[in-house]
Amino acid sequence: MKLSKVGKLSRKQHRHTAGVSVQTGFPSPATHYLEPTIDLHQELITNADATFFVRVSSNEYAHLKIYNEAVLIIDRSTPALKGKLALVIIDGEFSIIKVPVSQGGSEAHKTFTLWGVINYVINKAI
Amino acid sequence: MIALVDCNSFYASCEQVFRPDLWGKPVVVLSNNDGCIIAANREAKALTDIAMFEPVFKIKKQLIAHNVTLFSSNYTLYGELSQRVMNTLYLFSPRVEVYSIDESFVDLHGFGHKNLKHYGNFIKETIFRNTGIPTGVGIAPTKVLAKLANKIAKKGPEHDHVFVIDSDAKRIEILKTTEIKSIWGIGRQQTKKLKEVGIHTAYQFTEMPLAWVRKEMTVVGERLWRELRGEPCMDMIEIPKPKKGIGTAKSFGRKLERLDLIEEACAYYISEVAEVLRAQKSCAMYLQVFLNTSSFSVNDKQYRNKQTVTLAIPTNNTFTLVTEARKILKAIYKPGYRYKKVGVNLTGIIPEAYVQGNLFESPKTEKHKELMQLFDTLNYKYGKGKVFSGLTGTRMKEWELVKADRSPRFTTQWSEILEVK
Repeated sequence: MKLSKVGKLSRKQHRHTAGVSVQTGFPSPATHYLEPTIDLHQELITNADATFFVRVSSNEYAHLKIYNEAVLIIDRSTPALKGKLALVIIDGEFSIIKVPVSQGGSEAHKTFTLWGVINYVINKAI
Repeated sequence: MIALVDCNSFYASCEQVFRPDLWGKPVVVLSNNDGCIIAANREAKALTDIAMFEPVFKIKKQLIAHNVTLFSSNYTLYGELSQRVMNTLYLFSPRVEVYSIDESFVDLHGFGHKNLKHYGNFIKETIFRNTGIPTGVGIAPTKVLAKLANKIAKKGPEHDHVFVIDSDAKRIEILKTTEIKSIWGIGRQQTKKLKEVGIHTAYQFTEMPLAWVRKEMTVVGERLWRELRGEPCMDMIEIPKPKKGIGTAKSFGRKLERLDLIEEACAYYISEVAEVLRAQKSCAMYLQVFLNTSSFSVNDKQYRNKQTVTLAIPTNNTFTLVTEARKILKAIYKPGYRYKKVGVNLTGIIPEAYVQGNLFESPKTEKHKELMQLFDTLNYKYGKGKVFSGLTGTRMKEWELVKADRSPRFTTQWSEILEVK
């Protein structure tokens, strides 16, 4: 600010100064304690190069507690142990099953080809 | 020992990962403008009565009659799956040379005690299991021999896609049955030259005196000769060299007569190549633009022209390049023709850090750099082409060739992930 000749206060025009921070105030006491914000990937994904996301668009698998709009986190490197949920192919089509005792076994399933084991099911909360 | 891991009909395999209904069926992938076939899986290649190298519009009926599934190219998907395959290779060795989108050399030095056939099999199976992509593995003492081993692995079904050249006797036996022309690095001219002096097999070549090879085929030939004899002399290149030239050219969806639409297409291609330049932190010295009518058309008058300019200061700035490209287009465009294709090429590529300013450089350069960075960040985050130069315009639909049969980008877009009913 400066006084103009006629004695009026002339305000300096506001200038956009993006990129230049004018720090006032006390420096943050948290400066040395900053950590990256929680990332879901860290918790849900162990092998990113083998992990695929798949969306379920029906209530066909409600008996497996997988509901419409659920997102499946599939890790193809996870071993298909008995009882695990898995995305499989039956007659050329994707399907979700619980892995039976012996792979490709008869237990209520026709022969299937494993696509990947489901490690997490993210259902929409009602 | 060195392994060459190569994905089997990579683009088609990528498509099939998410389409189990197509397993065991013929699949082809079309070029960027759906103009011709750039990849075919084994089942499609087996249909030998179809001329796969012909433009698609000529053979489409035949393809459909043979139940071949056609895909427009989905480079986003192929690139991402390629990355997964290459990352998986690091499980097997800390030294990997990514040679192309579907091929990598893996350094297995110090793995001598292992059963390499088993190890190769393990590599192949792990990659398939983790990514769904089938591969072939060739293992040998040198790169050139590994490349050859890989070829053999693919040919004989008894090898089950893994082949190891692990003894001199085996190496010689293979070289004796290998035609000289199928050696990596031997071109058509050289094949002709070698055949004239009676060299038909790779083995005969390795039996020539080194002095002769050096004289007739320079140091490049010498390197091949040594490698074929089992003496490694090509290093693993773990950090890829920046490209020497970057260009793109795609056919329009329909023939265009008006300059303004052609300009917009051109500006779009410029923004694509400029982005590649910036990603590898380099600048281009020369810019070429070319404009063609369709050489397939019988009725249209034909015209083609191109022009190259030297840029005042080497640059990777989209705006500068677009402005220059428009000047060239104005110069080579002639009204009255029905154009099919515009293309841009950037050459004289140098690292960004080597760019020398000149007296007339505007002080805005730094600002522009920041803007370009922001550009790239936004487009990376929100998807290709979300932010663009105004000169690119918004009438893409009027010139772009619709990739009619592009598969979803299963691994990079939430809205396009695989759906199970």
